[in-house]
Amino acid sequence: MQDEKDVSRRDFFKTVGVGSIATAVVAGVRDAEAQGPAPVGPGEIPITLTINGQRHQLSVEPRVTLLDAMRTRLEITGQKRVCDRGACGACTVIIEGRTYYSCSMLAIEAQGKNIRTVDGLANGSTLHPVQQAFCDNDGLMCGFCTPGFVMATVALLEKNPNPTPEQAKKALDGNLCRCGTNIGVLKAALSAKGVSRG
Amino acid sequence: MDSADLTRATEGAEGSDLKTQVPEVQAPPRPPQHEKYPWPEKSRLLGTRVSRIDGPLKASGRAKYSYDIVRPGMIYGRILRSPHAHARLKSIDAAAAEKAPGVKALLITIKPGEKVMFPGEEIGALAATTEQQAADALRMITIEWEVLPALATVEQSMRPEAPQVFTPANTRRGTAQEDGDLAAGFKNAAFTVDATYSTQVQTHTSLETHGCVCEWNGDNLTAWVSTQAVHGTREGFAQGLKIPQANVRVITEFMGGGFGSKFGPDMQGLLCARLAKAANAPVKLMLDRKEEHLTTGNRPSAFAKVKAGVAADGKLTAFDATTWGTGGAGAGSDYPLPYIYVFPNRKRMHTDVYINSGQQRAMRAPGHPQGCFVTEVLMDELADHVRMDPMEFRLKNLPPLAPNAMWATYFPMGAERINWKSRHVTGDPTPGPIKRGLGCSANRWGGAGTGARAHCEIGSDGSVVMRCGTQDIGTGNRTIMAMVVAETLGLEVPQVTIELGDSNHPFAPGSGGSTTAAAVMPAMRVTAGKARDALFERIAPQLGVAAADITIGVGNITAGSRTISWRDACRLLGTVPVSVDGQWERGLSAGGTSGVQFADVEVDIETGITRVKKIVCVQDCGLIVDLKTAETQCYGGIISGVNYAVFEERILDRNTANMVNPNMEWYHMAGQSDIPEIDVVLVDQPERGVIGIGEPPAVATAAAVANAIRNATGVTLRSIPITPDKLLTELERAGGTN
Repeated sequence: MQDEKDVSRRDFFKTVGVGSIATAVVAGVRDAEAQGPAPVGPGEIPITLTINGQRHQLSVEPRVTLLDAMRTRLEITGQKRVCDRGACGACTVIIEGRTYYSCSMLAIEAQGKNIRTVDGLANGSTLHPVQQAFCDNDGLMCGFCTPGFVMATVALLEKNPNPTPEQAKKALDGNLCRCGTNIGVLKAALSAKGVSRG
Repeated sequence: MDSADLTRATEGAEGSDLKTQVPEVQAPPRPPQHEKYPWPEKSRLLGTRVSRIDGPLKASGRAKYSYDIVRPGMIYGRILRSPHAHARLKSIDAAAAEKAPGVKALLITIKPGEKVMFPGEEIGALAATTEQQAADALRMITIEWEVLPALATVEQSMRPEAPQVFTPANTRRGTAQEDGDLAAGFKNAAFTVDATYSTQVQTHTSLETHGCVCEWNGDNLTAWVSTQAVHGTREGFAQGLKIPQANVRVITEFMGGGFGSKFGPDMQGLLCARLAKAANAPVKLMLDRKEEHLTTGNRPSAFAKVKAGVAADGKLTAFDATTWGTGGAGAGSDYPLPYIYVFPNRKRMHTDVYINSGQQRAMRAPGHPQGCFVTEVLMDELADHVRMDPMEFRLKNLPPLAPNAMWATYFPMGAERINWKSRHVTGDPTPGPIKRGLGCSANRWGGAGTGARAHCEIGSDGSVVMRCGTQDIGTGNRTIMAMVVAETLGLEVPQVTIELGDSNHPFAPGSGGSTTAAAVMPAMRVTAGKARDALFERIAPQLGVAAADITIGVGNITAGSRTISWRDACRLLGTVPVSVDGQWERGLSAGGTSGVQFADVEVDIETGITRVKKIVCVQDCGLIVDLKTAETQCYGGIISGVNYAVFEERILDRNTANMVNPNMEWYHMAGQSDIPEIDVVLVDQPERGVIGIGEPPAVATAAAVANAIRNATGVTLRSIPITPDKLLTELERAGGTN
């Protein structure tokens, strides 16, 4: 059946959870109690997510990814679900200055963090400089990978406003495009101006 | 899989009827120009660089794809699929799933005793309030299978003792195609090459998976579908659900890639519609990545055992090929061969080999990359035998020059840009592990289109709306439509509103075979031209001139000696807008493109890793509408060719026929650091009218890369993808890497 992937992903998350507890045990049982995640679920639990500066209260099962919570519960659909296992980058969001694959982070883990998506970049009808650069350099075709590439580029330029081509390529290696817009994407990343440090 | 899919999948692939093997020899005459609305002698917008008009929506995340559609009360569907390549159903029990939390509808489409023929074949579906509940419920379905012997590879299927899995046989032998005198051809050959070439199965891997949102309103269905054909998909829903076409509306405002795999509702669309009906709620059913790899199409593999002869003077004499390949469970795998070059005496016999995997579908230039790879690598081997430069050798064996057969002109142009004269003979003599090499190849494609219809309205406020039931699958169709309308009405692109991707708009064909531009642009030109004429007729009496005395400027019109703005002219319409229908007409588009590509690669013979450094592409597509998006089409095609050459491959487990890399980390595709420098020269042929550009640039890249690798390393890789393991094996066989 087709569910093996979901099963193994949950197993993966479980493993991660067990791993952090094991580490904590070494540090002392009291620390473990303080650091280990409190047991939640399996039913829906209320959570609060801060996305593009707005607080959202919602109820999700603990196994729901940040990406799915945004897309299916909050109708924040800018970031796309493509591979759903951390390979293609279409779901890239920025959390505290660095990129994350939101398909590979649980929504419950994203609480208390400032999550940024492509939906929050433009100011009304004025595009963010990176979005404008993608349009000007034809760094998009079908557009399904574009939100991920835009977020990866924003994260790069906020850290390093003048990347070399090699640095830009490296920063965008976590994103895949099937139409083959990469030539325009690189031009966009190297020409976007006026991206202030986030 | 329904038979409509099968037909459609093979439609795009050109037959290998011998008469059409080298169609360039019978080049069509220059098409007559359209009498009433010819393309302008001097264009204001056509051929310039215009940024795509839907760029801001896509870059801002505001573009809503089918995957993004949310409807009130919407629930989620998932499909129940066969885990086996070949099995017979003994029993199925879905009682627990039906009662599972959140489940609103459940369908089982297989009966005990029936068989499945490939992993992932649809056997049922259910819908639940959340995706997680749907997945949970699927796992509660208990199925007993009688697992039957399966065929996982063409070799297994072709063995005489193989179990008979397919009816009437595991293979289907075509009829031999012959031309000339093969024996005489080989007699005249000074050298022959006798070798076997092969290409892999690749999957489309569209980023937006197949799927849709279905919503019923009584007996009427609205479906937001990720499709390359809104009208064809409407027809598919009506047929599959046995309801009138008038009751179906298909909407595809934006779609995340199809590459030939999305032409109908497919099983998932029909199941989604049935679930929505049963649950009395809108249902979203988008496939996951594994389902996408397994069940939504692929490019068939190709194998060719070729014997070819060349005379001492470098003229090709004979070509004799036995070919085979697999398009999966019961689907064809033919491809054009030999490709482009003139073999005066030739014979070819193709056999379709069936295996227990998902069926092939048309994929970006179906058949051509396979035929191109086999022929072009062979050409380099033959050139070495007669000690000729591979490009000179090609020039000697091309069909005559014609508007759709310009290779003899394009090869020297590309050679200049790749610095072909710096090329060394086969095998880089430079010491050290890094070897550099150059290679070249040629491509052809049709790209003609017909049949598109459109409706244009000009309002009294000067606004222009063009409606057409075509779709923009990422090519830039929306943008070039607006450019043609703006050019015709003397407006700027942002002044034109394009509405597409809706089966309620006038009919336009599906977007396959690079036919969209050639089908839709003439409809835009004619319909906008008719709207302009209708506007002139309406306002002429008020301006006191004859309609024939009104001419269009840029943002204005001139009536006799008076020039008034477009807005003021439209204001004269009063409350009734101009409203006209138009359609594709002859004389504004054509078919038949040609192009060449050159590759510059670097191979590390210690690791076997190839880096494609640069690709040069010289390509035509008739009248260029938007130079910017046409160039991007070339970049995209070339990058897909690089993937085909060195990265991607569908790998099936040889025992179970299950795909072992149904994801995006082990199904390899180029990342940003793998992208070569790409130099595109688009040759404008305005006198030919509009021709499609989506597929042609995707054809030749893999062959050029393979030849460049051969030139670098001195070993011949006759099988793509050229992965490090294959390269190191071949180098070892050739005497090691020292």
